[in-house]
Amino acid sequence: MDLQVTQLVKEFEIGDKTVSVLDGVSFNVGPGDSTAIMGPSGSGKSTVLHIIGTLEPPTGGDVRIGARNPFALSEPDMARFRNKSIGFVFQDHHLLPQYSVLENTLVPTLAFPGNAAGEARARQLLERVGLAHRLEHRPAQLSGGERQRVAIARALINRPAILLCDEPTGNLDQRSADAVAELLLELHGQESNVLVVVTHSSKLAQRFGRRLELRGGRCVEA
Amino acid sequence: MRRGLTHHWRVNLAVTLAVAVCTAVLTGALLVGDSVRASLQDLTLDRLGHIDTSLVAERFFRADLAEELATLPDFADSFERVVGTILLRGNAVHAGTRTRASQINVLGIDDAFVDLFDEPTTSEIFQRQAGNRPQTMSLSPSSGQLFPSIAVNASLQRELGAEVGDQLLVHFQIGSEVPRDTLLGSRETEDVVGTIRTTLVAVVQDRGIGRFDLNPHQASPMNAFLSLNDLQAAVEQPGRVNTLLLDRGSVNNTDPQQFLKTSLHLADFGLGLRTIAGPTGTTLVEIKSEEFVIRPALMEAIEATAGDLRASTQNLQTYMSNTLQIGDRQVPYSMVLALDIKEGLQRPFGHLELLDGSAAPALAADEILLNAWTASELGASAGDELRMDYYVVGLDEQLRTEESHFRVAEIVAMSNLAVDADLTPEYPGIEGVENIADWEPPFPVDLAAIREVDEEYWDTYRGTPKSFVAAETGYRLWSTRYGATTSVRVALPTGTNITTFIPKLESMLLERLDAQDYGFRFVDIKRHGLEAAGGATDFGQLFLAFSIFLILSSLMIVSLLFTLGIERRGKEIGLLLAIGYPLSKVRRKFLAEGAAIATLGCALGLIAAVSYGSLMLWGLRTIWLAAVGSPLLYLHVLPATLVVGFAISAIAVIGSILITLRRLRRLSPTRLLAGVTRMPASTIQERQRRRWLAPVSFAVALGLLSYALAADQASNPGIAFGIGALLLTAGLAAFATWCRRPHGSLSSNRFAAIGMAVRSSSWNPNRSILSVALVASACFTIVTVAGNTRDPALDAHVIEEGAGGYELLAVADVPLHQNLNEVSGRFDLGFDAIAETQLENVRISQLRLVPGDDASCLNLYQPRRPRLLGVTDELIDRGGFRFAALSAELEANANPWELLRADLGSRVIPAIGDASSMQWILKLPIDGELTIEDGHGEPLTLRLVGTVRESIFQSELLISEANLLRYFPDRSGFSYFLIDAPAGRDLEIAALLEDWLEPFGFDVTRTADRIASFLVVQNTYLLTFQTLGGLGLLLGTIGLGIVLVRNVIERRGELATLRAFGFRRAFLSRMVLAENAFLLAIGTMIGSVSALLAIAPRFVLSAVELPWGALLPTLAAVLVVGMLASLAAMIGTLRVPLLPALKAER
Repeated sequence: MDLQVTQLVKEFEIGDKTVSVLDGVSFNVGPGDSTAIMGPSGSGKSTVLHIIGTLEPPTGGDVRIGARNPFALSEPDMARFRNKSIGFVFQDHHLLPQYSVLENTLVPTLAFPGNAAGEARARQLLERVGLAHRLEHRPAQLSGGERQRVAIARALINRPAILLCDEPTGNLDQRSADAVAELLLELHGQESNVLVVVTHSSKLAQRFGRRLELRGGRCVEA
Repeated sequence: MRRGLTHHWRVNLAVTLAVAVCTAVLTGALLVGDSVRASLQDLTLDRLGHIDTSLVAERFFRADLAEELATLPDFADSFERVVGTILLRGNAVHAGTRTRASQINVLGIDDAFVDLFDEPTTSEIFQRQAGNRPQTMSLSPSSGQLFPSIAVNASLQRELGAEVGDQLLVHFQIGSEVPRDTLLGSRETEDVVGTIRTTLVAVVQDRGIGRFDLNPHQASPMNAFLSLNDLQAAVEQPGRVNTLLLDRGSVNNTDPQQFLKTSLHLADFGLGLRTIAGPTGTTLVEIKSEEFVIRPALMEAIEATAGDLRASTQNLQTYMSNTLQIGDRQVPYSMVLALDIKEGLQRPFGHLELLDGSAAPALAADEILLNAWTASELGASAGDELRMDYYVVGLDEQLRTEESHFRVAEIVAMSNLAVDADLTPEYPGIEGVENIADWEPPFPVDLAAIREVDEEYWDTYRGTPKSFVAAETGYRLWSTRYGATTSVRVALPTGTNITTFIPKLESMLLERLDAQDYGFRFVDIKRHGLEAAGGATDFGQLFLAFSIFLILSSLMIVSLLFTLGIERRGKEIGLLLAIGYPLSKVRRKFLAEGAAIATLGCALGLIAAVSYGSLMLWGLRTIWLAAVGSPLLYLHVLPATLVVGFAISAIAVIGSILITLRRLRRLSPTRLLAGVTRMPASTIQERQRRRWLAPVSFAVALGLLSYALAADQASNPGIAFGIGALLLTAGLAAFATWCRRPHGSLSSNRFAAIGMAVRSSSWNPNRSILSVALVASACFTIVTVAGNTRDPALDAHVIEEGAGGYELLAVADVPLHQNLNEVSGRFDLGFDAIAETQLENVRISQLRLVPGDDASCLNLYQPRRPRLLGVTDELIDRGGFRFAALSAELEANANPWELLRADLGSRVIPAIGDASSMQWILKLPIDGELTIEDGHGEPLTLRLVGTVRESIFQSELLISEANLLRYFPDRSGFSYFLIDAPAGRDLEIAALLEDWLEPFGFDVTRTADRIASFLVVQNTYLLTFQTLGGLGLLLGTIGLGIVLVRNVIERRGELATLRAFGFRRAFLSRMVLAENAFLLAIGTMIGSVSALLAIAPRFVLSAVELPWGALLPTLAAVLVVGMLASLAAMIGTLRVPLLPALKAER
């Protein structure tokens, strides 16, 4: 399943003014490819990611995931599509504090019932991210790097075709950041999904197959 | 600080409003208390006008006494005026419609009485002329008017449905010099009840003179005003009154009692002195009483005075025998004289001579002397056995014939003392009658038994005694509580002149007599009324209690909102701490802001308090009228109360803010700077300490529950509340513990939303516990209140319940002296044969009543001297009613009523009262003592030995009849009746008795209605509590909404993440709603189960059912309102875009 972004436009209304954030962003990412999107603060990096992730509709342009326009779906279908096809990793892990590591990993499987194999997959993923011994711990009992590894496992639980990462190492020290980046790439390789990472860090960006930069609302190859 | 306040103005405004609500409710409740007190004081001043002090005597006295007092210089210095009037209790009947009004005040008044009230309160009757004087003759009949004029107040007019010009029959008790429960007291209806037919000439408004009443009660009395002359004539007491009303003019503490000593005459005590010629020709002074017998206290005074004067006395007791019989020979209706024969030997008094001229010997207790005439008629000689039949009056006031047997000691010659006709006092209906056949004594006489020789004796010797017994014998057989001696003869000391002796005897005797002993007692009626206006119930405290949920809810909202404000400024606090501000300084800064908000909120709250107070008083005048029984309650705003309300509210609010600020220390600057603002409510150590709270509370509650069941304390409200509070605590503590423990695994199924909701609810224990506590407390209140709301119809017929198995009770304005259970008694009262048939199988318990203050919740004034009921031996032995508590100091008895017979020592007597009245009105615990004045004005201590539950006796204290007669000897007749009517015939019997006993003002009430009238007050209080509790719950629901909004705002990141992973809005909505439903359900369960278990023993033991019909919809309403609030809050918060939450972390 590939990702096609064509002439993406996003405008926000602030008071009585319209602010244009994206002004014709286009790029494609094929299955098994990884892409880093860079750019200064306010350039619209996260907005691109949220539009691809169907969290936010575009003002104009087109997003196709596996030749399918998710914004043409109804809200329930779009939610199901997001649940099954897209995985998110945020800068702040957004783990739910009331749940254990294993439960947090399982959370996406709860949105639509019937995923009986979820727990086995979660255990497998947590083993792959090196947290098999932390299954019953709460987020508060983990380090920043560990939390982000749980977030990655959670993002992959439903075998999404597209994995979207928003500054996944932004809150981590260098060592943890390197480990998380390594893990992301490793799992990306194993899962053969589309990986799109938004980052400030050129060092991190260097590790991905393709690097794009947002400037003036448009996307250019870095 | 100003910038801090203005920048965060939204949240600060919300806190200010919450503080204002708290202050308004708290201060408003206090204002209600002030207003009730002040309104009652206003009513007191209104009903008494210028009357400060009153004297209501048991007997009529000279109206001139008022003028005599007024002319005393010292009296005039302290008292503006003194007014004599007649004040009676009675009833009125509309002559046309036969509509009745009982328990009315019948007043005989003149101008002076009208002048005691400032305002000319009626335009019709007390019209004042140009000279500002009332028209003195306005109560006199106008031309063509056949009957005396009467004016009534509006309450009486409404009750009778009368119009000016209508004829009204007014019935009232006629006083009797001779006590009616003695042989010579008349018990005939026409002698007991006075009736006057009147023409209604005016209606007086129910204020000022129209409201006049000496008894403190908020309900308007029913007053009938007649001219003093008309009423004096009607009660056959010309020139006499029974009441003095004093106007002090200005404030002074002069005791008017001291002036009575110089103004009262012996006649006012019912005593009469006259000189008689003794049998030996010596001049003697004879002292007699209007009451026929001289009371023991008077006897003591007479003997002591005579002793002081060195004058010898002879005490004589004359009684009437029905027959003297030896063998088959009889002498009917003879006087018998009891005297000390030894004294009879003293020269001045004469002596009894035997036939041989020697003096009669002293007599043994079973010996009798017969005069020669009687001995001849009976064929008697010394040593013969004589039987004497005579009447006595029993405790039930019925005549019964008793007999005594004597041995004839000697025969007395018809000479000397034996022929002294003055030995016999003037017998009513006998004295002055030409022939015995014309006798009309107040007791039955068989005139057929009178023989010619008896008439001849009467013609020659009149009522001269025919037989003589020892003084001790006479006392033993014929003395009553009013005394035994019928006359005292005083011999002049040697060398004394009769003209100087009598005045000296009079003045010295008067000096010895205490006017208070004879009912001449002044009472500072206005001062007592104003004191009593303090009320049996502190409505300030009551409404404070009623409003407690409102206050707590608003305080909770203050705390929540203030916490929210602090949390929103977490980074600011973190920064201040990071740059070196000490925590104390940061706290002070926020405390100062909080104090400023509190001050502003409290100030606004005071304005709202006046509105809240007004609203509550409006409620008391309208929807809760049954609780107070008077629509005359108005708002009184006392500045001191506003200050107190402000201070208490400010302290509560600032205290709540301080608690919030204290928790700041648990957050490090780095956490605050990182945006972590959630404040942990407790530390691990604190949580560990609380670990035992749930099991310990639960165990203690179970222990109490077992005790309540085992010790028959099921209805003890204190124990029930204790059980409930402990269970509530246990439930909440258990929930808190649950919140802090890990819970089961999540599963991907259709109930995933519910599972996640339950897990989420435990994540923020503080808020969840707060929400659950709020709902649980509200439900606890609702269930407890529903459990205490009573239906009187459930237990009116059960002997062991509040009505004691009596279907009816009645009160008579004029006491009855007949036994309604006996045919003869009913015959005397005029019942016909049909009524006799209808009254078959009806049993009536007749009780004596000492009038006093209504001790029930129907009276808002604090009773000073409660009404007393004398429980007869029959009723004590019968038992019944349901006891709430008994004195532990007294030996437990199978029949608790027997405690009334306990001997508790000198001037201390046992009493039983209604549990509610004792607890809430008189505030008298078991074994508590209440000191009142007895019939002689002496202190008498009542000790509460037991209480009956939910009974018909809320207005009275019950003492034994024996004690009542001992300490209130003047209480003759029965005024209170408990009627056991056959099932289904109660209304028929009530109508029958009211009709036949109309002159007595016999007012019958169904006991169920009586209890209902009490319960309606209790139920109205509960309704008030429910209403204000409901308002509190509403406010609490707003708090719940705030908790929810805060939760959702705080969890925006979590919700946004879930959305990012494909969770639908509907799923998240279900999850949030399920979470709140879970908290609501837990709260409802903890509150309801705690309350149900607390009140369960009572329902288990009494087989009474909870009003599920009202309860379940109320609980459902709590859940629905809670869910609606949750829904509204959830819709509002889920509309907030979630995406910024994901971005905001950047």
